[in-house]
Amino acid sequence: MRAAWLICAKDLKARLRDRSAILIGIVVPLGLAFIFNSIFSGISGGSDVISLGVVNADHGVVSQQFTGAILPAVGRSGLIAIHPEAGLTQARALAAKGTLSAVIVIPAGFSARVQAGQPASMQVIGNVDAPVSTEVARSIAESFAADLNRIRLSVATVAAGTAQSAGSAPLPPARIQALAAAAAAAAAPVAVNDVSAQTKELNQKSFFAAGMAVFFLFFTVQFGVTSLLEERNEGTLARLLAAPISRASILGAKLLTSFLLGVISMTVLVVATTLLFGATWGNPLGVAVLVVVAILAATGIMALIAAVARNAEQAANWQSVVAVILGLLGGTFFPVSQAPGVLSRLTFVAPQAWFLRGLGDLRGGSISVVWVPALAMLGFAAVAGGLALTRLRHLGEV
Amino acid sequence: MKVLWIALANLRRMFRVRTNIFFVFVFPMALILVLGATFGGSYTPRLGVVSAGSGPLGAALLRQLEQTPHLRVVTVSDPATLLTQVERGNLAAGVVIPPGYDGAVSAGRAVTLRYLARPDQSSQQLGETVRGAVARQAALLGAARFAVTQHSAPSFSAGLAEATRIAPAVPSVSVTQTTAGTALFSRSLGQFDEGAWTELLLFLFLIALTGAVALIETRRLGVARRMLATPTSPATVVAGETLGRVLIACVQALVIILGSALLFGVNWGAPAGVAAVVILFALVGAGAGIFMGTLFRNEQQAIGVSLLLGLGLGALGGCMVPLEVFSPAMRRVAHITPQAWGNDAFARLVGHGASIGGILPQLGVLAAYAAVLLTLAAWRLRRVLSA
Repeated sequence: MRAAWLICAKDLKARLRDRSAILIGIVVPLGLAFIFNSIFSGISGGSDVISLGVVNADHGVVSQQFTGAILPAVGRSGLIAIHPEAGLTQARALAAKGTLSAVIVIPAGFSARVQAGQPASMQVIGNVDAPVSTEVARSIAESFAADLNRIRLSVATVAAGTAQSAGSAPLPPARIQALAAAAAAAAAPVAVNDVSAQTKELNQKSFFAAGMAVFFLFFTVQFGVTSLLEERNEGTLARLLAAPISRASILGAKLLTSFLLGVISMTVLVVATTLLFGATWGNPLGVAVLVVVAILAATGIMALIAAVARNAEQAANWQSVVAVILGLLGGTFFPVSQAPGVLSRLTFVAPQAWFLRGLGDLRGGSISVVWVPALAMLGFAAVAGGLALTRLRHLGEV
Repeated sequence: MKVLWIALANLRRMFRVRTNIFFVFVFPMALILVLGATFGGSYTPRLGVVSAGSGPLGAALLRQLEQTPHLRVVTVSDPATLLTQVERGNLAAGVVIPPGYDGAVSAGRAVTLRYLARPDQSSQQLGETVRGAVARQAALLGAARFAVTQHSAPSFSAGLAEATRIAPAVPSVSVTQTTAGTALFSRSLGQFDEGAWTELLLFLFLIALTGAVALIETRRLGVARRMLATPTSPATVVAGETLGRVLIACVQALVIILGSALLFGVNWGAPAGVAAVVILFALVGAGAGIFMGTLFRNEQQAIGVSLLLGLGLGALGGCMVPLEVFSPAMRRVAHITPQAWGNDAFARLVGHGASIGGILPQLGVLAAYAAVLLTLAAWRLRRVLSA
């Protein structure tokens, strides 16, 4: 046991001295998280208030209802800011510049046409690069138009039904007006009720911090397990085995080195990203559980590759390939879970995906939510680590 | 002649390691595919809809939602799954059309749809599109129900049939839509185009930087010493090593360009312009890689710094998010990287169909980068070799 500690301490000292582990485990992920975060924070992620312009060239009864009742209700949520504009030309210029996402225009004579039962139309001018906001504006106008159509269609349906049953002349205007008033007063048949859901997404800062940390974790832990192969190449493994040290101690020491390197790297990264650019990792205990099982999973997978590789160089090459593929699939650079079809489910072959999901769930729930992702990562650690151990047991027998 | 042999030896050493083939060719191509499939084209929010057991009227509402432009409707099996998907951000928002929607509407009962949104604004704003679709359907449903209350239709279904029949003849209030402004992105770009050229530049530079590792290895294994022991001048060795890195980059670019064009139908623009950008960019990368290789002795450290610089400069130069969406100040900062100039060149070649003449400023800047970096690299390498 003491021998294991000594080997581990020697390895850790060597790794920290040649600086490569510090570079891969701390400097590079921290640097990249910082760069990504500063680039992306200058970009609006479509989560802004929609600036909606309104031009009312009509000023009639019907358009007053839209600008006086419908739009204030829409604006009350604070999600859409209503800007009344005096002239069409100016409003169109603002939409072209992108100052306004979209403009709803009610043309002159709109109310008169609506009241006379003639075809009428409203216009939506959208900024060319804001298709989603334009669609929201169009939907607001469309809802209002649909309600006007409901009244017309209600009157027309009753009129048609009466005409069929009575076989008589069209309804008198007074009756039509009474029907229209009744239809307007009728409650909408279907209501939409807002239910707010929680957010289980990491915010941008935390996503880049966590994504880069877990991506480079897989590179950091390989310094431990792969040094076993280096010792074999350089002949120092044979000398260790000749000494009264059990194979289990040597193997344990190398795995422990990986684990400790992972702990150092992740701890520094969690603390540094929290202090330096305000990443929010969540409940400390939950984060600790996720970090520990992620390190175990990374160590297990990297140990398995070291176990099947012929030499240290081959191991390092394949470890990089696997770490990069799993990192990409695990969504450490961009959220693969938003990809279409099978790709979004493929993400869960990567422990990184479970780590990020665990952190996301932790944001929207109590600490109990980490058990499923933690168990999934433990599964990776157990399977890969178990296979690695059965092969590495025979190490040095060449 | 010797220069060429040294260069070819570099090429052979690179591709003899099978995992290099993965990083040089396979991984960039896989990224082009994944990024194009996930984020290609314009962003369309995804609305999850649960409509199980909602009957024909529920299905009609679902169709109404599906016809909404700039909205992708994804059907979800049950409300619990929908809630989780919305909370995790896999769906922008969700709507639940309750079971028995059809029956309740027909019977004249008040029906409520549940709209699920996260606290963020884009998720909640999408609610208006759902209200719009519901209002369009409600025009027919409301008319049918009104006909029943006014005793002009014997039943809801009779009223609905009547309203549907006469609806086209009733003059309607409509909404027309136009757009204003000039588009940020060229409309002619294919789903994979922008992803393809940004990934090409990202990986050309990243792999070129890891050339530093090869150079350290050349020195560590004593290959450089042995070459210099033969009647070969340091200048020849420097030229050979540089040409080797340029050749690797050109082979990489050729495979990625042809492969992505054939497999994903990527449009790359005028061949002469593309060749000019790629060759100049390969020279820039070779200069940077060799220069870095002379600064480090440890291969692991060189890999770490390559990753940081390659990915960091790539991100800053618009290889991960397009330069068009950068803030003006950030865009100016971005143009300290060669990647930004490469991206500009490709944006003109592919997006605007420019010929080589249309990208001369970008080519000029890349040539200047190449000249400076190659001079630095040659100077340092000669010193390191003769030391």
